[in-house]
Amino acid sequence: MYRTSLKYGAMIATVTLGAVLAGAWLAEVYREHDARAVLLPDQVITLFPDPKPLTAFALADQANRVFDLASLKGKWSFLFFGFTHCPDVCPTALAELARVRDSIARSTPGAEDIQFVFVSVDPNRDSASKLGQYVDYFAASFLGVTGDNAQIGNLAGQLGAAYQVAITPEPENYSVVHTTAVFLLDPLARYHAVFTPPHDAAAISRRFKVVRKLAAGNAT
Amino acid sequence: MSWRHPVFVLSLLAQSLVSAAGEEAGVSVRNAWIRESPPGNSMMAAYMELRNNTSRPRVLVAASSSGFQRVMIHRTVLKDGMAGMAHLSQIELAPNASLIFAPGGYHLMLMNPKRTLRAGDPVVINLEFRGGLVLPVAFEVRK
Repeated sequence: MYRTSLKYGAMIATVTLGAVLAGAWLAEVYREHDARAVLLPDQVITLFPDPKPLTAFALADQANRVFDLASLKGKWSFLFFGFTHCPDVCPTALAELARVRDSIARSTPGAEDIQFVFVSVDPNRDSASKLGQYVDYFAASFLGVTGDNAQIGNLAGQLGAAYQVAITPEPENYSVVHTTAVFLLDPLARYHAVFTPPHDAAAISRRFKVVRKLAAGNAT
Repeated sequence: MSWRHPVFVLSLLAQSLVSAAGEEAGVSVRNAWIRESPPGNSMMAAYMELRNNTSRPRVLVAASSSGFQRVMIHRTVLKDGMAGMAHLSQIELAPNASLIFAPGGYHLMLMNPKRTLRAGDPVVINLEFRGGLVLPVAFEVRK
């Protein structure tokens, strides 16, 4: 009897301990999954748990206004690196971003806290006026910025954006290889998230709305 | 646009040209379009669905258009998150198969348009196949 109850006692203790451990493990897994449900890099967005603050850089926009760290503060910025002589990828991405802008503007009254920035990595051909004409076609509010190679490289490097100007026999007719991601910077000028191609306006808009809501929750 | 409108009549003519030549060649083209581009821009892209209805391969070797200085067969290549363009000297269409030219993939790169093209404008691009066949295709400019 005694031995039996001891046996049962040990069994109960083992089962209880097991249940506690299993519960703790499940809670851990749940917590991890819960966090990852938010941070999970899905097909569209990779959201960084610890946004990286950008450091000083200086470019100029299509109206020759300075575009620097201060230009990012207080706004969510969507950045895309490209060049105006790009026939396929850039117009496709900018057309989608124009739809993203419309979608966010429709659902959020005002939407003054967002900006879209096309960073030309081809300053040799993309003058301020050329950039202005280009971005204006997609949306009047779009910014087109560029600078010298060192300054473009500075910003691109901070975001891990890569580009390379192809050397061809024709000096006015060369191609540029460039990162096709859309970078999302938050109102504190931090690298907050990245959208991976192919870009779809509806998918980007939906995720951005969640990101903005989450960020607002973290701030309070 | 009406019957009296020269562009309309031209576009109809182009379309009938396309279907006649296409049937003869065993190659058909659907959804042929050009992305409207910002004013003053020198590079555009054309997209389409090419179908080879024959039991033999067809090889697209070149494209040209009176509306552009030059037309090249290109493919956007994505590698390590970067996009680049590869110039193709030819594309083989497998027997009884389709090949889709779409944003982010195969496209005809259109260089230096001779006039500003707006959504709705028809543009004829000649597709040249190995063996000498030239297929005029009516593309529609779309926003």
